[in-house]
Amino acid sequence: MSLKKQDDMDHNAWLKGQDLTAIETVFLTTLIWLDKRLRIVDYLELLETMYYRANLQMPKSHTEQYDLDNKFWYWYPLYSLGSLSIIAYLLAAVSGAMLGFYYAPSTAGAVAQGDPTAAYDSMVMIMKDVQFGFMLRSIHRWAAQFMVAAVFLHMLRVYFTGAYKEPREVNWILGVVLIALTLLFGFSGYVLPWKQLSFWAAQIGVELALATPLVGEWAAQLLFGGFTLGQATLVRMYILHVFVLPFVVTALIAIHVGIVWVQGIAEPH
Amino acid sequence: MTDDTTPTADDRTDEQVRTDGGTDEAARTDGGPPATVPPDDETPTWSERKERSQGLAQLTYQYFERSRREDEDLRTESTYVERDVLGFPTWPHETIRNLAITSFFLGIILLVASILPSHFGDPANPGSTPAIILPDWYLYWSFGLLKLDPINPDLAVLGGNIVMSNELLGLIAHGAIFGVITLVPFLNKGNARRPVEEPGWAALGVAGVILAITLAVLAIQNFFPVQLELLFSLVFMLPVAGGVVTYAVLKTMREGYMYDLNRRYYMLRPPK
Repeated sequence: MSLKKQDDMDHNAWLKGQDLTAIETVFLTTLIWLDKRLRIVDYLELLETMYYRANLQMPKSHTEQYDLDNKFWYWYPLYSLGSLSIIAYLLAAVSGAMLGFYYAPSTAGAVAQGDPTAAYDSMVMIMKDVQFGFMLRSIHRWAAQFMVAAVFLHMLRVYFTGAYKEPREVNWILGVVLIALTLLFGFSGYVLPWKQLSFWAAQIGVELALATPLVGEWAAQLLFGGFTLGQATLVRMYILHVFVLPFVVTALIAIHVGIVWVQGIAEPH
Repeated sequence: MTDDTTPTADDRTDEQVRTDGGTDEAARTDGGPPATVPPDDETPTWSERKERSQGLAQLTYQYFERSRREDEDLRTESTYVERDVLGFPTWPHETIRNLAITSFFLGIILLVASILPSHFGDPANPGSTPAIILPDWYLYWSFGLLKLDPINPDLAVLGGNIVMSNELLGLIAHGAIFGVITLVPFLNKGNARRPVEEPGWAALGVAGVILAITLAVLAIQNFFPVQLELLFSLVFMLPVAGGVVTYAVLKTMREGYMYDLNRRYYMLRPPK
């Protein structure tokens, strides 16, 4: 038995059998030579598949198919709210990452006298000294507002079109969890500048946590780092806002969208 | 197919006469079922399938073939047209359709961000409580739930002792609301996809939305020159009123405007 590698496809015999011009021979020989080394044909097939996928003909939309578009717009504009909240989330993530370069989660400073803390100072610095810092913070904040609004409206759309029914119960529960996490995201971000409103909103949070039976004190310790507000609170909120929630929420959104992808979008009829 | 239990084409109800005298085909007014989706490149050929003829692969293959066949039979036998439009592909159809709206939305965010800069208040001062404490607007409803204190004395037992602290009452209200919302898919079943089909549930939804808004107003009551008792009554009466109005409107729509649509989708056949 020869150790020489067999040519399974017998390329040479196939080439000989063809009636080829010189150019075709050179081209094919080169192609076969390259393909043996680089698997070019695989990639060409991938490209071909992508081409056909990209040029898929859109089927008639639901409104067209059932001649609903002469009635009125129906629910259609509201069917983009889920993706709009993702867009806003991405925008907030990008602008938030940039804000993170300048923000300092520290309450250093004479807090009791109402003097600005390091956190507040870094916010002032972002808005006054950093190039486009004012715009950056504005984008971050408005993206968050739009995300919360889109998420609320998205849930209303799902509710009123009954899109939570039969195969989609799990996704509805996931959505409720995501809304709660979005609100927590907003709340933790609201606390970070350590303004008067931030501080007293956090104070209400602590009082609420302490009012919870059984787990109250534990929850206050976990979320706010103690029973009174201070450096620990700010750091907890900061870690929650920039480290814990982004990963958890992104993962849950991925699962949420993955399920929608598998099940298809629920149509009104 | 090696499965003997599934009905053959002859057994199906294609030619069967309906109870109202017509046939299934005659009653169809929507142009027939949508064309079946052609298999894409990933679908293995017949010989490829046959090759997996041993062990777990074969079992899995048989199982999938069987359930495919069952689905197919169910779909063929069904006289309920809505079955065919239960889901709509996310990619590319819905995604491509949304792209235009998405860029528009991005533009709006940037525009709003540039003309309406964010709030820039005083630094935190634990020593002085501000007159007005507020969270962001999307938590107003939650903040409103914490101001349900006037309800608390009504729950009093045993010589006027209130049962729980005001904060705990607010927390329980939160738990109840989130719990009800989570349970919705398990309480409301069926195939209805439009508010007109279920006026009761739609009315409940509208009442919920109005309650969220009135609770938000309760949270920022300092800004409204309204008596607290009146405001408190409105918080709970407006949702009920909204729900009743919604119910009445949807019932009316159902009888009138939507009748043709209902007829098309539920294949209500004209009397002979």
